[in-house]
Amino acid sequence: MSAASDLLRRLASLRLTVVLFALAMFVILAGTLAQTEEGVWSVVDRYFRSVYVSIPLRLFVPSKIAEIPGVVPFPGGLTLGVAIFVNLLAAHIVRFKLAWNRVGMIVTHAGVLLLLVGEFVTGAFAKEGNMTIAEGQTANYVEDMRASELAVIDASDPKDDLVVVVPGSMLASAGASPVASGLLPFTVRVVEWMPNSQILGPMQASKMQLAKATAGLGTQVAAIEIPAATGVDGASFDVPAAYIELTRDGASLGTYLVTPRLTIPQSVEAGGRRYQLSLRFERGYRPYTVTLVDFRHDRFVGTEVARNFSSLVRLNDAANSVDREVLISMNNPLRYSGETFYQASFAPDDSGTVLQVVRNPGWLLPYISCTMVTIGLLWHFGARLASGVRRRIS
Amino acid sequence: MKSLPRLFPAIVAICAIAFLGAALTRSFSAGDRARGVALEDIERLPVSAGGRTKPLDTFARSTLVRLGGRQTFEGGTPETGVGQRPATEWILELWTDPAAASERRVFRIDHPDVKSLLAITDTKRTRFSWKEIEPKLDEVVRQAELSQRVPRKQQDPFQKAVSDLYGKLAEYAEVRSLRTPYVVAPLAAGEEWAPLVSSDPHQQGAQRISDTAAARAFQAILVSYSTGDAAACERAVASYTAELHATLPREMNAGAFEVVFSRLEPFYQSSALYLLAFLLGCVGLLVSPISPDRWRPGLFRAALIVIGIAFVVQTFGIGARIYLQGRPPVTNLYSSAVFIGWACVPLALLGEWFSRVGILTLAASLIGFATLIIAHNLAASGDTMEMMQAVLDSNFWLATHVVVVTVGYSATFLAGFIAIFYVLGGVCTRLLRGEPMKALPKMTYGVICFAALASFVGTVLGGIWADQSWGRFWGWDPKENGAALIVLWNLLILHARWGGLIRDRGVAALAIFGNIVTAWSWFGTNMLGVGLHSYGFMDSAVFALAAFCVVQLALMAVAIVPMARWRSAS
Repeated sequence: MSAASDLLRRLASLRLTVVLFALAMFVILAGTLAQTEEGVWSVVDRYFRSVYVSIPLRLFVPSKIAEIPGVVPFPGGLTLGVAIFVNLLAAHIVRFKLAWNRVGMIVTHAGVLLLLVGEFVTGAFAKEGNMTIAEGQTANYVEDMRASELAVIDASDPKDDLVVVVPGSMLASAGASPVASGLLPFTVRVVEWMPNSQILGPMQASKMQLAKATAGLGTQVAAIEIPAATGVDGASFDVPAAYIELTRDGASLGTYLVTPRLTIPQSVEAGGRRYQLSLRFERGYRPYTVTLVDFRHDRFVGTEVARNFSSLVRLNDAANSVDREVLISMNNPLRYSGETFYQASFAPDDSGTVLQVVRNPGWLLPYISCTMVTIGLLWHFGARLASGVRRRIS
Repeated sequence: MKSLPRLFPAIVAICAIAFLGAALTRSFSAGDRARGVALEDIERLPVSAGGRTKPLDTFARSTLVRLGGRQTFEGGTPETGVGQRPATEWILELWTDPAAASERRVFRIDHPDVKSLLAITDTKRTRFSWKEIEPKLDEVVRQAELSQRVPRKQQDPFQKAVSDLYGKLAEYAEVRSLRTPYVVAPLAAGEEWAPLVSSDPHQQGAQRISDTAAARAFQAILVSYSTGDAAACERAVASYTAELHATLPREMNAGAFEVVFSRLEPFYQSSALYLLAFLLGCVGLLVSPISPDRWRPGLFRAALIVIGIAFVVQTFGIGARIYLQGRPPVTNLYSSAVFIGWACVPLALLGEWFSRVGILTLAASLIGFATLIIAHNLAASGDTMEMMQAVLDSNFWLATHVVVVTVGYSATFLAGFIAIFYVLGGVCTRLLRGEPMKALPKMTYGVICFAALASFVGTVLGGIWADQSWGRFWGWDPKENGAALIVLWNLLILHARWGGLIRDRGVAALAIFGNIVTAWSWFGTNMLGVGLHSYGFMDSAVFALAAFCVVQLALMAVAIVPMARWRSAS
């Protein structure tokens, strides 16, 4: 027997399958428990789409009983997914035999392979963002709620704004070293970066907290750091905040508080020009616009429980001669130009809508794979059951 | 005497049907009277609470359940007889004679520190009246405010208990002041359900009393009830009812049915029958060495018939809920428990038909009984037919994804329970000698195949729903992960067996572990308090879950006993 076929036989082993299933279950369990202290997206990246993961042992024992230190290194979801894929493929290569009583299993396993591919494609290529539109307003960009950017806007040209953005990740890792660029009218030094934050109003904030900023809105309201949103909190996401000091030619222009929670941009004067400054969620602009015509939010009588939400929007894409009204509601998304718009949430006081915008080139794969697996399993087990019934009757 | 074993099943069946007949008669009988007024028509009056139109009876029952964990209250007058009285009588007393009502012991308090906070010295009693609590009301409010500064998950048992008590007191006050439920029905076009009493938006602290035709009719009922004018009260009820029938016929018919449904308590009746069937089966097992051909089949046949009757009653109950809610059978944790049991029973009986070993009859009755007990304990939020959040509001997906995935959970549990019978019966007794020792592992295996199929298809349907709703086929949400664990575990068992890594004993041990996996996915993920799927809000069940897991692990240890030591091994 050649070394290659020997290797193939080993890779095809059912023992390996069982071990891989057990490992996968452990990672899934750990990744679920981890969501009590971490956001779901960070868990997905660290546990389910990673080559390996360090699993803290404290997850498995309630902190009320004992606080256990230490971590176990473990293969991550990506490694296990690839391993299951290889194991399954090898098994069918080694044991392939076309017979009626095996068709069910072959179809099922082909479906499973496709399911793994589908999750891989989703992990690698899917993009999700939010489109927040107030009633009567128009939006032409999608915000990525998992990334932020510092935008410096020169609005002096009446026709077009000149926008320079600094990724939030660059500010987060800047530390003491200042961020400078020829495109920016000033140098940015990060005094304090908060991955997740909360705003304290003028009456809540202490004098010391208000003194952190020397200019702009930060002199009236303050930001404090709060723990990262966990998967436990549901759909919530982190809202960063930063105190940044701006300097030009060695002279300070003041320390500003910037955060997406402040919805109005702040004005900064540098070199005789006015700039608008804001930390916002990363924007991806689209060649079309969406206008919110009407937002409806019905509740059950006498309660705050939502009965349904819906957004009537006008979709306008001049380049493709599209100008129409669409009603987006729960379980009834709009699919347009490779993206899907879902009714996700709403602005406070029902003054606007939040649409989730998803682009996933692999969205159809799970549908195909699931159909295959279902048919395959029904075929396989159905045939077994039928023969059992025949035996029982005779 | 010789034919007694043969007649026995028929005798048991007649008894079971007589038991049901008695319950039915009670449900349709005229019902109780209070202050000379027939309560039945008042019980049927529709009110709106939690977004749902329901009979006053249901509202009163569910309020009492939330306050004290019971659907009735201890009270009554010498004329009506003192004892457990219907909930509607309590709510009428609360609205017409609050002083008398304040002496009813409707609040359940268990925590000793809360009792001592209320200066209650009687440590054995668990039910207390508003009057007993009132002197310490300010202290309860202060303690609750202190507790609420701590996030719910970090509160200690005392803080939780005092917050709960505060919530109950607030609810009691809301109901007493007639702000909840909404009793004013929309009789004219353009009207909506409204409370009889509400805050006046124009004047701080002032109250406004609704002045529609329905509000006046409802007040007339309360006034005549409080003055003890029974004839006037019944007239007022009759005229209001007639108007309601003209404007809200569907609500009135459903309401009348719901009152009967609440009185009949079909799930209580069927749980009693499942218990009876289980006992019959146990006796059947015990007598099998003595009378294998006569009493054993007689008892098992009787058990089977009783299970059949219980199943019909349970099916009626589920059907009634579908009619009342206009929704597929599984909408919350409570209904999932009812449904899991319901789905297990025919599966187990199908297995029984294949194997003819009797054990599966036992499994069917035990699961039917146990799941109904679990459901009963999950009904503490009162009304089990609450409205669904918008995202879950889709009958198509509730009917497909939720039902199929619940059937998958059921089958995984069933496999685990068959394995428990196999292990315990095989190791500790000689009852499984011969055919059952071969048949039970086969059944376990077959049920696992079915469980793998149903849990996979159900999970995938959930993914498709998620993709339709928010564009994410798989979001790694805890409940989704729980479902994935069940699928993987079933697949692991199947592949291990196909690979020859485990045989009968191994399949049994792993199937028992499947109980832990399923219980964790069903309840544990809700305990994390996470995600869109956490339809059930749980606090105290953690201990029960942990105990269940420990028992399962112990049973797995029993399965590891070498086959030579099994008493049923030949």
